[in-house]
Amino acid sequence: MLLPFLIGCSEKEDPVALLGGDPERGKLLLRQFACGSCHDIPGVAAAKGKVGPPLAGVAGRVYLGGVLPTTPQNMAAFIREPHKFAPRTAMPAMGVNEEQARDMVAYLYTLE
Amino acid sequence: MRLASAVILILAILAVAAAIFVWSGLYDISATDQHLAPTYYTIRKTMERSVERRASDIDVPALGAPEQVQRGVVLFRDHCVQCHGAPGVPPEPFALGLTPLPTPLARSGLDRSPAYLYWVIRRGIKMTGMPAWQYRMSDADIWAVVAFVRRLPYVAPAGYMAMEGTVIEKKEDRLAVRPADAGRGERALKQYACIACHEIPGMVGPEARLGPSLRGIGSRVMLGGVLPNTPENMALWILAPTAYAPGTAMPALGVSEGDARDMAAYLATLK
Repeated sequence: MLLPFLIGCSEKEDPVALLGGDPERGKLLLRQFACGSCHDIPGVAAAKGKVGPPLAGVAGRVYLGGVLPTTPQNMAAFIREPHKFAPRTAMPAMGVNEEQARDMVAYLYTLE
Repeated sequence: MRLASAVILILAILAVAAAIFVWSGLYDISATDQHLAPTYYTIRKTMERSVERRASDIDVPALGAPEQVQRGVVLFRDHCVQCHGAPGVPPEPFALGLTPLPTPLARSGLDRSPAYLYWVIRRGIKMTGMPAWQYRMSDADIWAVVAFVRRLPYVAPAGYMAMEGTVIEKKEDRLAVRPADAGRGERALKQYACIACHEIPGMVGPEARLGPSLRGIGSRVMLGGVLPNTPENMALWILAPTAYAPGTAMPALGVSEGDARDMAAYLATLK
């Protein structure tokens, strides 16, 4: 539970590659899980939601959901179980599995 | 025609030269080296004229009542001495490393008008260490500091020590209720360092991107992921983010209620 809060960004290797997701599949999955109804996501069809923050440049932000240091691991964990980290967040757990979360992260890390 | 092209050519050469100078890194930005004299006096005169112009239509209240001066002493001790020093009291060590050096205020008390002092204290001065106190001090308190600074040239070190011992309770009258004002809010956003973590359209800052961009925040549905985005909620959120989002990295910046409502009014205009 505490682990994601403690993970820094010390790894020298490309952390996204380390996680091993497929960005193209991730892009499709972001569409399939309706992430775009709440978030504006460049490149994802009809993803113009304004409930949560836009995801352009999300990987370059220091904090994720305001609560976690932004790393690929943390992002995948946050996507799967937002309430674990931000107890009162409006973002629901969408039933994303681990592999799907990795793919989504791989795509989100391509966004400038 | 030939004159016009000559002028354009000269301007282009100057622009290129300026760009080369900037990119070369030749300019010494260190605080250990003072400005060259021409630079220093040009900047100083620019500052003086800028302040004089903006302070010219300020209505100066009656100054110098004993209670007001006493109040001024306390504020001066808490907020000014650290950089400016006082009769017989040096500035803190860090302030000795500032460039430009803060002026000893006994000199300012002689040379500057009350309106000038009030304006500088309230608005601060860019690219010096002088902060704007508008958002941390009430108007009455700023005038109290002015009243004391005007008295300062006539206070001997022993007299200052005696006055400084007088402690008066601080009163918070900057929280007075007034209608939210988006214009004030825009300025307040800059004053509470919001730009340090958030991109805000039309504002420049460190671009550290700790939190999300506030571009289009006015048309977003949720706030911090936890509150419906209304101006009332935005003000509450700014006042105490952790009350609504436990664990958030966003700190409470000590914003007053009025300032928070002004900021919320401005943010609501960012569509």
